[in-house]
Amino acid sequence: MSTPYYIPDENVPLPPADAEVITTACDYCIVACGYKVYRWPVKGGKNGGAMADQNAFGEDFPVQALGPWVAPNQHNIVLHDGEPHHVVIIPDKAAEAVNVNGDSSLRGGCIAQKCYNPETPTRDRLKSPMMRIYGMLQPVTWDFALDIAAEMAKYVIAKFGANAYGVKSYSYQYIENTYAIRKYALRSVNTANFANHDAPSNVGATPGFRDAGFDNFGPSYQDWKDAETLLICGTDPYETKTIMFTQWIMPAIQGGQKAIFMVPRKTAGVAFAEQNGGLWLDVNPGTDLLLVNAIARVIVENGWQDKEWIEKWVNDKWGSSSGFGQGTRNTPWQWRTTWGKFQTKGFDDWSKWLLGQDEFALDAASEVTGVDAAKIKLAAEMMAKPKEDGSRPKTSIMIEKGFYWSNNTGNTEAIAALGITVGAGGRPGQMIGRAGGHQRGGVSGGSYPRNKSPMKLPGRRRRALDTDTWTVSGHTRMAHVIGTTWIQSMLGSQQLSQRFHELTRGNPHQIQSINRDKILETLKARVDSGGMVIVNQDIYLVDPIGNQFADIIFPAATWGEEDFLRANGERRVRLYQKFYDAPGEAKPDWWIISQLAKKMGFDGYDWETSNDVAEEAAKFTRGSRKDFNMVKIAAHREGKTLHEKFREMGTNGIQAPVYMNADGSLMGTVRLHDTTRKLPADGPTAANMFNKKLTHFNSQTGKCNIQKSPWSLFSDYWEWMKPKGDELWCTSGRANERWQSGFDDTRRPYIVQRWPDNWVEINEDDAAARGIESGDMVLLSNDRVPALKDIILGVEGSDYSFAGQMANGNVELSEASVTAVAIVTRAVKKGVMYMDFLHTSQPANALAGRVVDWISGNYNYKMGVAKVTKIGESPYKHSFRSMSFAPRDIVI
Amino acid sequence: MSHELQKPTGERRKEIAKAIGHKCLVSRRNFLISTGVTTTIMITMNPGTPMAEEVPAQITEFPRKLIAKMSELELDKPFDFSYPDEGEHADSMIVKMGVKAGGGIGEGQDVVAFNYACTHQGGSLYDSYKPDTKSLGACPLHLSTYDLTRHGILISGQAYQSLPQVLLELDGDDIYATGIFGLIFGRKDNLHG
Repeated sequence: MSTPYYIPDENVPLPPADAEVITTACDYCIVACGYKVYRWPVKGGKNGGAMADQNAFGEDFPVQALGPWVAPNQHNIVLHDGEPHHVVIIPDKAAEAVNVNGDSSLRGGCIAQKCYNPETPTRDRLKSPMMRIYGMLQPVTWDFALDIAAEMAKYVIAKFGANAYGVKSYSYQYIENTYAIRKYALRSVNTANFANHDAPSNVGATPGFRDAGFDNFGPSYQDWKDAETLLICGTDPYETKTIMFTQWIMPAIQGGQKAIFMVPRKTAGVAFAEQNGGLWLDVNPGTDLLLVNAIARVIVENGWQDKEWIEKWVNDKWGSSSGFGQGTRNTPWQWRTTWGKFQTKGFDDWSKWLLGQDEFALDAASEVTGVDAAKIKLAAEMMAKPKEDGSRPKTSIMIEKGFYWSNNTGNTEAIAALGITVGAGGRPGQMIGRAGGHQRGGVSGGSYPRNKSPMKLPGRRRRALDTDTWTVSGHTRMAHVIGTTWIQSMLGSQQLSQRFHELTRGNPHQIQSINRDKILETLKARVDSGGMVIVNQDIYLVDPIGNQFADIIFPAATWGEEDFLRANGERRVRLYQKFYDAPGEAKPDWWIISQLAKKMGFDGYDWETSNDVAEEAAKFTRGSRKDFNMVKIAAHREGKTLHEKFREMGTNGIQAPVYMNADGSLMGTVRLHDTTRKLPADGPTAANMFNKKLTHFNSQTGKCNIQKSPWSLFSDYWEWMKPKGDELWCTSGRANERWQSGFDDTRRPYIVQRWPDNWVEINEDDAAARGIESGDMVLLSNDRVPALKDIILGVEGSDYSFAGQMANGNVELSEASVTAVAIVTRAVKKGVMYMDFLHTSQPANALAGRVVDWISGNYNYKMGVAKVTKIGESPYKHSFRSMSFAPRDIVI
Repeated sequence: MSHELQKPTGERRKEIAKAIGHKCLVSRRNFLISTGVTTTIMITMNPGTPMAEEVPAQITEFPRKLIAKMSELELDKPFDFSYPDEGEHADSMIVKMGVKAGGGIGEGQDVVAFNYACTHQGGSLYDSYKPDTKSLGACPLHLSTYDLTRHGILISGQAYQSLPQVLLELDGDDIYATGIFGLIFGRKDNLHG
């Protein structure tokens, strides 16, 4: 970890003219800007000079604005083939896509600091497999660690069944790795106890999009730019996916685009939009559905809906009921819940329902959402009111976690219907989709064994297992945790942590020997007595899952240490190249999985290189939004490997799904659901695939389903959770300067100087009423955090609802306490506090209920509630070296 | 003391920012011309020989430069100067903020000085001082903002480091610049280009 005492450098070595140049993309946010790594040996001391012919950029220094400057944070020293090398990593100034001409955020801009260098705070990278003996993690050999893990996995699966073996993994950390992990977990082990890093069970993020037929990542970045009105819900892209804003949305706003933000917090992007004719809808947490439907209602009342679009592209009664050619029972909203709650007979039926709900009337919605009625009307006008010449504004809609993690099912159903109403979804500049969080690196090497899940909706199909509740109730006997901050990343985090402790270190059976038989005997006794064994695979020791609870640690290699493929938020697939040696014995996750799987006796893991895995994974992308199978076919025709073919594409990569033309050239896909796209008339040839999603929607008919979004399915939880007495909402999310848990940022002196501690933004009025000033240390506490006790089989229709769970005694209440440094600001709505979403020791998620959205099975992370009290002053209140308490809404 | 920066004022800056949008590289030269960014002092190496060439002047240590008089500084009115040289990205400002600040001089420890080039991609922060938040920015290129009470730390934005702070010394009423904390945008070394 780094201290906040950062001393900036006053010079930086430049790459010499003959430095090697390696393309890659940023490891962090969804946008995945293109970067170039300049590498040259330390030996010989040959650095570049200030004249154009003396450096690799061919530029005279000082360079001018926007030029290839190298900030000291963009330089590092790494080992390459065992020899020290300088690396300078800056955005690709020749980039033609994404970060055109080499724009960058602070996160990616300083990505050189990510590289392992024992002279920097990265020195604590995991370098050797370890085993906990007498409570301490000791280095052991790969073979020994893998052997114990494999033996225990076989024992647990044989004795307690596959569902006792849980795999909790990132969903995105490169295609080769996720493919291997899912092949192992889902195909080979075949466990239903599987969940990604950001959900308690194997569920999608946006049920409403799924029902309507919208892909999450249909739009291209050009679409966000080409929209005349852009509604952005639950995120400020400037803060969280910067280049999407600075490269695509900001110039659009400068050119007249009306950007409407639906968020309770005002950051720079929101303020910039407001300053330039946009709108801030300062919505109360969890009430987005009411706001969205209030906007929709203004549109419908005025007849501003896109009638031609709706006529052509929205399912009527017959289309809506037609199922997937397998009868109506196989449409997804019917899998999830009660008949008739969502499905409509088409637009008119939906309108009738919309106009019949009193809570969507302007004044009623304004009251509960906290958004001024005039702004609701203005938003409706901006989005849908025809212009004087009768033409319609081109409107697009972007959503992200602040929105879909507040009322997961309801909000996404509502926004999908609003999108359909304004004609967004299938045309250039008129799209609807997610902004995205992390990049898209998931490819499944197996399908989820839903029928092995013991959870079942009343009268409906089985639902994916809630792995948190399953583990809390003692059913997980061995947990394999891969690259995620399991516990703090899930809700009710502190209670969850307590239970993990009881099941692992709190169990009397602890390893006290390096003897193989004795270790196995001990761990078997642990699981037989109801305890749990944890294997943790990561790049750093994560607290507490690795640092305190894990029995076995596998050190992983990451970005820059192996060749990997991944897609960004407009489905652009690129090769992230290896350019330096992984520390110690760290290995890529695909390799670790392959070794473990082979020791367990599974077939199909004989990969030699990451390219081998990628080529196997390619065929499993067919038909998906990441379909790059034809790139492999092209590569093989040309006598290349898949990775080699992608290497040639550099930072441009190619937008999937990829199609091969008759002449063998490859053609990418700008946007999905592109109703204006003309595909070759003679249909797909050879191995090409035409998926419905290219030119139609992901629904049973290819047209959109317009669905109802009843508030009543969520209002019981919202009413129960909403602040009582002195409580305030305590919602959470990202801050520009930190990525995820801060696993890299806590090792960057400059970022630690900026954010040395957990923090919470409090509105000026709320702070004054509680005697809190900026820089005070505050306690955020919640003495009524609800959590599910056990998984259930639904019998009655409402058994899975919050009210039903309460009535059935399946909810227990616990307390949560989190400290933070107060930032008193005008830039957050009164009644709402905002906290970084994932500080490992002070997790915001502790303050929100561990209760899944009862229809989708996902969490509503953003619904935290807390009392806030001053407990003293932080060291940052009166010193000047670190932190800042200035507001984040200062614009030009 | 009469050094005038040939730079546009607030409204004009906004227009420029809007006009260049994000065809930045395409219009980079135009942007630089229109924002009047400075000249580089050139000296001739090996004069009178076949190897004669023009290279940027180099200084080897930070100069001690008189930049302002304390008695003439007005509250929240930035005063502009060049430091450590007259080369690229040397434009800087000094301001009396009325609140105590890291590195501040004077009785109230409230006088600080900073370089004007945004440490993200070199946009000019000229004329962007905000008295209410004691900040510089937002940069017209990508909206970075800096806290002048806290050594120029980034408030919000994309910069790779804090804004370089000009180190100050007070001698009677005279304020001298004596050094810079942090690398100036565009340079590989504060003193050697």
